[in-house]
Amino acid sequence: MKENEVIRVSHVNRIFPVAGGTFQALTDISLEIPSGALAILKGRSGSGKTTLLNILGALDKPSSGKVYIDGKDIGELSERAREDLRRTQMGFVFQAVSLIPTMNAFQNVEFSMRMAGIREGRKERVEECLKMVGLGGRLRHMPSEMSGGEQQRVAIARALAHKPRIIFADEPTAELDSAMGAEVVRLFKEMCGREQVTIVMTTHDVGLMDAGDIIIELENGHRIMEAQEEGQVEREDG
Amino acid sequence: MLGVMFQKLWAKKWMFSCLLLGSVLLIATAISFPMYEIAAFDRMLRDEFRSSEINTGVWPAKLSAVDTSMKGTEGENLRRYEEKFAAIAQRLGVETKEQIYFYRLTQWTLKALGKRNDVWPGVLRLGTASNLEEHVDILAGEMYSEDGLAEDGAIEVLINQKCMVRTNMLVGEMLESTTLKDADGIPYKLRIVGIYKEKGNDPYWEIGANYMNETCMLEEGLFRNLFLGSDINRHNITCRYCYLFEYEALDAAQAEGLITKIQEDEYVAQECLGLLQDFQAKRGRVSTTLFILQVPVLMLLGAFLFMVSGQMYELERNEISVIKSRGSSGFQIFRLYLYQTVFLTVVGVLLGVPLGGVFCKILGSASNFLEFGLRRSLEIRFEGIVWIYLAVAVLATVLIMTMPAIRHSKVSIVNLKQGRALKKRSWWERVFLDVICLGIGLYGYYNYSHNQDAVMRNLMTDQSLDPLLYISSSLFIVGMGLLFLRLQPFLVKLVYLVGQRFWHPSSYASFLENMKNGRKQQFIMLFLILTVSLGAFHATVARTILQNARKNVEYMDGADIIIKEVWRDNAALAAEESNVQPGYYEPDFQKYTTLEAAESYTKVYYDDPKTNGKVNVYFEEGNLTFMGIHSKEFGENTSLDRALLDRHYYEYLNLLADNPDGLLVSRNVQTKLGYQEGDYFSFLYEYTIGSDDTRMTFNNFFHGKIVGFVDYWPGFNNSTTYLDLAGNVVVEDNYLLVMNIAAIQEKFIQRPQPYEVWINLKEDADSADVAKWIEANEIKVEKYVDRQGDIEATVEDPLLQGTNGVLTMGFLVMILLCGVGYLIYWIMSIRSREMIFGVLRAFGMHKGELFHMLILEQIFSGIMSILVGIGIGKLASMMYVPMLQMAYAADNQVLPMQLYTNPADMYRLYAALTLVMAVCLLVLIVIVFKLNVAKALKLGEE
Repeated sequence: MKENEVIRVSHVNRIFPVAGGTFQALTDISLEIPSGALAILKGRSGSGKTTLLNILGALDKPSSGKVYIDGKDIGELSERAREDLRRTQMGFVFQAVSLIPTMNAFQNVEFSMRMAGIREGRKERVEECLKMVGLGGRLRHMPSEMSGGEQQRVAIARALAHKPRIIFADEPTAELDSAMGAEVVRLFKEMCGREQVTIVMTTHDVGLMDAGDIIIELENGHRIMEAQEEGQVEREDG
Repeated sequence: MLGVMFQKLWAKKWMFSCLLLGSVLLIATAISFPMYEIAAFDRMLRDEFRSSEINTGVWPAKLSAVDTSMKGTEGENLRRYEEKFAAIAQRLGVETKEQIYFYRLTQWTLKALGKRNDVWPGVLRLGTASNLEEHVDILAGEMYSEDGLAEDGAIEVLINQKCMVRTNMLVGEMLESTTLKDADGIPYKLRIVGIYKEKGNDPYWEIGANYMNETCMLEEGLFRNLFLGSDINRHNITCRYCYLFEYEALDAAQAEGLITKIQEDEYVAQECLGLLQDFQAKRGRVSTTLFILQVPVLMLLGAFLFMVSGQMYELERNEISVIKSRGSSGFQIFRLYLYQTVFLTVVGVLLGVPLGGVFCKILGSASNFLEFGLRRSLEIRFEGIVWIYLAVAVLATVLIMTMPAIRHSKVSIVNLKQGRALKKRSWWERVFLDVICLGIGLYGYYNYSHNQDAVMRNLMTDQSLDPLLYISSSLFIVGMGLLFLRLQPFLVKLVYLVGQRFWHPSSYASFLENMKNGRKQQFIMLFLILTVSLGAFHATVARTILQNARKNVEYMDGADIIIKEVWRDNAALAAEESNVQPGYYEPDFQKYTTLEAAESYTKVYYDDPKTNGKVNVYFEEGNLTFMGIHSKEFGENTSLDRALLDRHYYEYLNLLADNPDGLLVSRNVQTKLGYQEGDYFSFLYEYTIGSDDTRMTFNNFFHGKIVGFVDYWPGFNNSTTYLDLAGNVVVEDNYLLVMNIAAIQEKFIQRPQPYEVWINLKEDADSADVAKWIEANEIKVEKYVDRQGDIEATVEDPLLQGTNGVLTMGFLVMILLCGVGYLIYWIMSIRSREMIFGVLRAFGMHKGELFHMLILEQIFSGIMSILVGIGIGKLASMMYVPMLQMAYAADNQVLPMQLYTNPADMYRLYAALTLVMAVCLLVLIVIVFKLNVAKALKLGEE
């Protein structure tokens, strides 16, 4: 295994039982993501992005194949250990509004630190994270008092607050306008540099691809290797 | 539109089932109360008549009239009167038992035509009575012939036994009128053809058998021909009409109309009218009381419906908003809900009406709180008032269920989003409803506890449960519940703040959930609190009222059975012969050994102000109960609660046993008269022997040493409460003197006085066996006390029984609703938050922590409400039950009021609530375990 490699996936398949048979959502996926990178999973809807993201995030298990996080095979971990992994090493940003409606911005962000068992310096860290997403002045606002973009930024701050190794973001820009979407990606980029966090996000927005350090394209559950590299070159040219 | 409605109902079948349950229960409960009242009042009315018949031996359902037609007046009048009487059954709408006419010529003197000179017809009149033939036994001779005339043209007449004895006339005696003659101027001739005796046990003789003692009875048709046939009355005639109706066929609903008609028609109907008026008054009281008790139950039912339909609209808000935004008018949405409501109501009526009948039976069989021991059949009828209740219940159901729709039909998606911002305070908090309710409740409490006299006066003039008193107890409970809801968020916040930094993430989340969303739960929490507190309160009310009434009867009766036989006296003999000592002949006492139902029995000399004796205590004359007992035997046959005396009951009996001249006296001899233990106490006891003309009065001087003061004693009423003419409540002390029966009998040795036999029944004995024994031994009884029977009568009294039934019914309905309501709320609340649970699980929250969080939430809302409900119920019981109990016992409560609770009632309540909580937990487990994180998160993708 290469040095500073956070995620390694080897030959992962995911098959779902469906009415009258099975559905192969992922076929023989292998990939590596280095630490501090912003990795973008792209593909049409139904291409298997979210399934892969769930598997990487230890929310789902592959039908076959292995996933290594920091060199550890997470398929061998118990349910509880996977949960602990999620709460300490990972952060999540979801497509839909996922803030806890009964907590204000500060409490939502602080909650992930509580979950990770962090007791000291919570206040400062929360304020820092919210400032980073440009919401330093809205600590006490309830989710219902904020716009969709603001809520998503709180969610990003929440995913970041407990200093996870990896943040998984599933279509974080889907609900936002393109300017806001670009802003979120810029934020991710900045965080990769500042916090040494690895970010894996899915998107189908072509305009956002530029920012990615690694682009992983999926189509019908298969990884399209060449397209990625060529695309990268093309874009650098253009 | 209907299709849409059914689709919608199917999609929300659980909610829909709950709404249906609510409407069925509301309708069933609402109609079961009037159904019960109709049936109970019918029985109460018949019971009143029946017991009057048993007590007085007179047929109570009797109307009578007397009319005298003078000679020379028009016969028309008499006939009109007769016709009116003939139509009485139709007019009153009652079932005829007997209709009797008795006519008698007022001026009629007879002389005997026989040779015997010991015959003395004296004033002997001529009369006839309808259907006499059927109600007499001929002792000698025969019945008059069909045309009433003998072959020689003499009028055939009958006389009764008493008349025969008085006049000394025999069968075959010929008589002639000295005053009246027929149309040809020939004096009427009569022949006595028979001597009759009135048939026993025949209400026919309500007409007045004593009138017959001086009347020769002739055949009715003949009488009419001879004396009533013409237009002008040729004689003075007295007509007595007597109408008896079958009270067993009476309905309570007829009572009011009967009273009016009887008064209008000016019949003589003393007993009947009195009974009916008493019944009406009692019915009014019972009705008011039961109505007051029903109100909270019905209101909670309404609240339940409101809550469930509100919850259902809450769920459908999005759909409604979408429909609305797509251009449907508010009216269309409203109409959709109206259809749905109408459908639910129709099904509610179809199921609720038969269920109401079942509820009515359950209600009527309640022998105690949550006990259904009565096996009498209630006649279930659907009439008048039940229709009104049904109509009101249906209207209320429709209104309650469409109310949220009216509000929501105005909401489009825009104002929905705006409205989602949480409101700061509930409306009731802003108007201080809790403070107002509590204030009124406490004012009521203060007022009643400081004006007992006024309360007592009210109760004695109108013994229904004072609505204000009951309402203030209900308001107190509601006010306390609301006050708790107002304070609850602060409480949670306080606990939250204490450990803010250290709370486990799941506790933290549930604290915040409760602090932010707590207001949404207020309704269900209030519902829980009210169910539990009203349940506890009503259980205490019902138990206390019935138990006090029972204890009172047990105490006042003194023993299981008391028999005082009729003692024959020799007063008549003693009056004539001076060497005979007046006194009574003691009936055989040995026969009591043959009374198998008796465990033991004892002689008790008992006299109280109501019976014939009179005690003259030298310094003061008061109501005095005078008892002579055999201390050991008395102890075996009676008992007294330990709490009622300073020392054990037997210790007092031993004091008597140790002191042959000892006296146990009531406490007031010490407090009012200043006597101390060891003082000698003397009194003159005055009593009579014989009755009416032969009554003789005697007295004996008694002297004894006071060995103890008692506050209570079996059968002793220590005070009498009554209203004086000015309407003030007067409490008059009664005194008690108990001494050894040996000391009394020693004084009475010359003139034995009747004693009572106090009997202790065997454990499994039935008092009916004693009644059979009395009948079998042909014992004439002057006083008979049957404790079992008295207790049964107390339990079956419509006021107590209805109270028990209504409270029990209400309790059951409330538990059911509360359980279902809480479940709905809880399940809805969890379902609506599935996405958040998904987020938390994605963050790595363990399943156990999720449980922890949800259980903590359940504790904040459910468990806390239950605990508070129990507390409020207990507090309200202590404060208000004593006053409510007074409303039932009023003036005849002798024993100190005691609060009675049965732990089993509360266990049942807890068991029901535990079941609900367990189901909640089960639902929780299922939801959490089935929760698919990825799927739950997808929920958000709209």
